Amino acid sequence: MGFRGVGVLLQCYLMLAAAMFFDLGEQEGKCIIEEIPEDTLVTGYFLLEPWDMKSVTSSPHLGVTVTVRDPNHEVLMTKRYGKFGKLTFTAHASGQHYLCFQSNSTRFSVFAREKLKLHLDVQMGEHTIGHSTAKTKDNMALLESSLRHLLEQMMYIIRQQEYQREKEEVFRQISEETNSKVLWWAVVQTSILLSVGFCQMKRLKDFFIAKKLV
Amino acid sequence: MQRRWLNLDSRLFVFVFIMALLRSTGGRTGRLLVLALLFVGCLESVSSFGQSLDTEFTFLLPAGTSGCFYQTATKNGTMEVEYQVIAGAGMDVDFTILTPEGIQIVTESRRSDGVHVVEPTEAGDYEICFDNSFSRFSEKTVFFEIIIEGQGGDVGGDDEWAGLDEPDGSLLEYKLDDIRESMDSLHRRLERSRQMQTVLRAFEARDRNLLEDNLWRVSFWSCASVLVLLCVALTQVFTVRKLFDDRRRVCT
Repeated sequence: MGFRGVGVLLQCYLMLAAAMFFDLGEQEGKCIIEEIPEDTLVTGYFLLEPWDMKSVTSSPHLGVTVTVRDPNHEVLMTKRYGKFGKLTFTAHASGQHYLCFQSNSTRFSVFAREKLKLHLDVQMGEHTIGHSTAKTKDNMALLESSLRHLLEQMMYIIRQQEYQREKEEVFRQISEETNSKVLWWAVVQTSILLSVGFCQMKRLKDFFIAKKLV
Repeated sequence: MQRRWLNLDSRLFVFVFIMALLRSTGGRTGRLLVLALLFVGCLESVSSFGQSLDTEFTFLLPAGTSGCFYQTATKNGTMEVEYQVIAGAGMDVDFTILTPEGIQIVTESRRSDGVHVVEPTEAGDYEICFDNSFSRFSEKTVFFEIIIEGQGGDVGGDDEWAGLDEPDGSLLEYKLDDIRESMDSLHRRLERSRQMQTVLRAFEARDRNLLEDNLWRVSFWSCASVLVLLCVALTQVFTVRKLFDDRRRVCT
């Protein structure tokens, strides 16, 4: 890896350091739910660090296992990464996907219950806000890349809108179903009530007639 | 021919300069020095790129637990936090924001959604916590969004453009200015649209979960109701008959 690659990686590292992070206990897993429309490329950048930067004397081997589940809870992707990585997957079905992170760092036995910091940034769509876009001095190239970025933004918004429309349809369907179920059950209950009432009266009347009480 | 000088304050300029240096220097020590410069340049660029940050997550908060998320914020600028409970009986959660020192600046108890704008007075890691310990059985799905804006409102491409080389001809310069402005405003509006879309998506998810729960509840309780009805009817008939069966001291 040349110096240029190292420089780019360094920038990714530092950019992620400013991103949001949460705590991950040793051998603990945390899941993030993402609502993704179908055929969307999802890119996630993450960085794993020890919680207390000062108290770590030896540098432990940090690692994380990423499991991605699709809306049917089937595993879409499982992969082990080191402390810094980029994960990509394409969502084939639209719905709620579960991204689970579990730390599997070694050499932690010295520090019992050591916490880890996981910086995370998830982006959807191609041509994302590249953490590694090389900025050129060329006017036109910059203009072109900015325009392309804007186009991608718009495509993303349009696709999300389409997805929203689909979900709205499903919502409407469930709503209609609930409504008809309520009506149906009310009718059934009333009819059962009436028939049971008649049956009761009839049987008791027959019973009393048989017992010569009436 | 008008030539604009490169804006030496531009962070992009620093980065571009360093990349150019990297390409042109030879020799090991030269490259190491350049790499050191690059590191410094990165620190600068991070603060400018990191300002236009927009993070949104949906996560599951099990019953009786609390979960915290941390966000690094710089001194100037604003941080907007918006959260919504999408699923879970009761649909409410406790919400707190703590400064890097540990002082609670925002506390809300058992709310189902909220928006807060925090102006960070000190740089550091702000802690955003959701607490579900009051609920013993129901887990909550919470959606939250953090939008960080730089000093001058949305950080668009202002810094980016400053480091560009101007071509010849003042007419082209006018056109470029126009294009730049339109693109900046377009970018900002699209970002805003995307954020609104995210919020609306969360609302829809919450409503849909609620409706699915309602459907299940309607079906279940209707079945139960019918069963209870039938049981009661049978019991009534049986009891009345029993009243007259056992004892023979009914007078005729």
